Amino acid sequence: MKTRNLSILLALLFVVAGVVFAASARAEGEIPAPPAIGATIGDFTLPDVDNKEQSLKSLAGKNGTVLLFISVQCPVSNAYNERMEKLAQDFKAKGINVIGINSNVAEDAAAAKAHAAEHKLTFTILKDAGNKIADKLGATVTPEAYFIDASNKLVYHGRIDNARNAAEVQSQELRNAMDAVVAGKAVEKTEAKAFGCSIKRA
Amino acid sequence: MRFSKAIIPIALCIILLSLAVPAQRRKGRTATTLKPIVVAPINLDALKGLITQQREHPLLINFWATYCDPCREEFPDLVKIDKDYRPRALEFVTISLDDVTDIKTSVPKFLGSMKATMPAYLLDVSDPEPAIDLVDPRWQGSLPATFLYNDKGEMVYKHIGRVKPEELRAEIDKVIKKVEK
Repeated sequence: MKTRNLSILLALLFVVAGVVFAASARAEGEIPAPPAIGATIGDFTLPDVDNKEQSLKSLAGKNGTVLLFISVQCPVSNAYNERMEKLAQDFKAKGINVIGINSNVAEDAAAAKAHAAEHKLTFTILKDAGNKIADKLGATVTPEAYFIDASNKLVYHGRIDNARNAAEVQSQELRNAMDAVVAGKAVEKTEAKAFGCSIKRA
Repeated sequence: MRFSKAIIPIALCIILLSLAVPAQRRKGRTATTLKPIVVAPINLDALKGLITQQREHPLLINFWATYCDPCREEFPDLVKIDKDYRPRALEFVTISLDDVTDIKTSVPKFLGSMKATMPAYLLDVSDPEPAIDLVDPRWQGSLPATFLYNDKGEMVYKHIGRVKPEELRAEIDKVIKKVEK
């Protein structure tokens, strides 16, 4: 009987170890590729930091929406707090809404809410538990931006600008893309590699 | 009598251990780990030179940052790899993507805590994208990222994400064996 129990216990341990291994292997770069520029981004819903369900459709601006993957702890994401807030403020009246998404497994909604209050981030922040949307969009780092136009087409994907240090900014790819869409022009640079902290996935 | 019999193997063990420890220290270059870690800035041209220059030995480059959790987690494995393969003429350098203001603070502090003795650089560019493209246009810049070049300067292996030590060692073995032949 004891031997049988031991066998069951060992079998269970193998199953648990398998699940743990699969989870860690999943976190090591097997992230879905991001949608191509021009692809339609389907509607989705996520809870905000007050646990209220929000849909992309309900948050979208009339000229488009910027989805920003952000983090509470990442120093690179934090270096962009003021710039992200400024983009949100500057483009609100121009019909583009900025939405933050926190997909980090180690940062819960309460932490994201406290972080937003501390850094005076006024745009809506969604909590992507289980990194469902990070996977859907192939997001890998924070900060990482996805700009969707009014017809839900992805028109820009990548970094906010070229430099973590605000004093060294030379090219503002995200702002340029937003300006272009507001002006009814085509986005010139549609992709720029995002740099920052890896999104910690579940 | 029993006591004296028992003490002989214990004494032998102590003697053997006392001989083995200094030998390990010699192999592990303990003297160098005591030196302060100096992290040198590397700009785009210097990075290009590092990757493309003619060299006698394979080159391993690890891109990392102190703010990157998997980078910190994999570092003990990288230090072991450096220790094991440097005597076999693997050139191994690390390039930090931390902010340049961290070059004398958090970057050397972390490397020191890891007892890392491989040459350490910090990417000193205002725009990281050309550097990322230079290394590999398909690399999105996510960290950690590890690239292995053979003695001809050809990239023979890359891994984005936390290294799998056995896999990396097998790849290093392949290029080192070719050079050693």
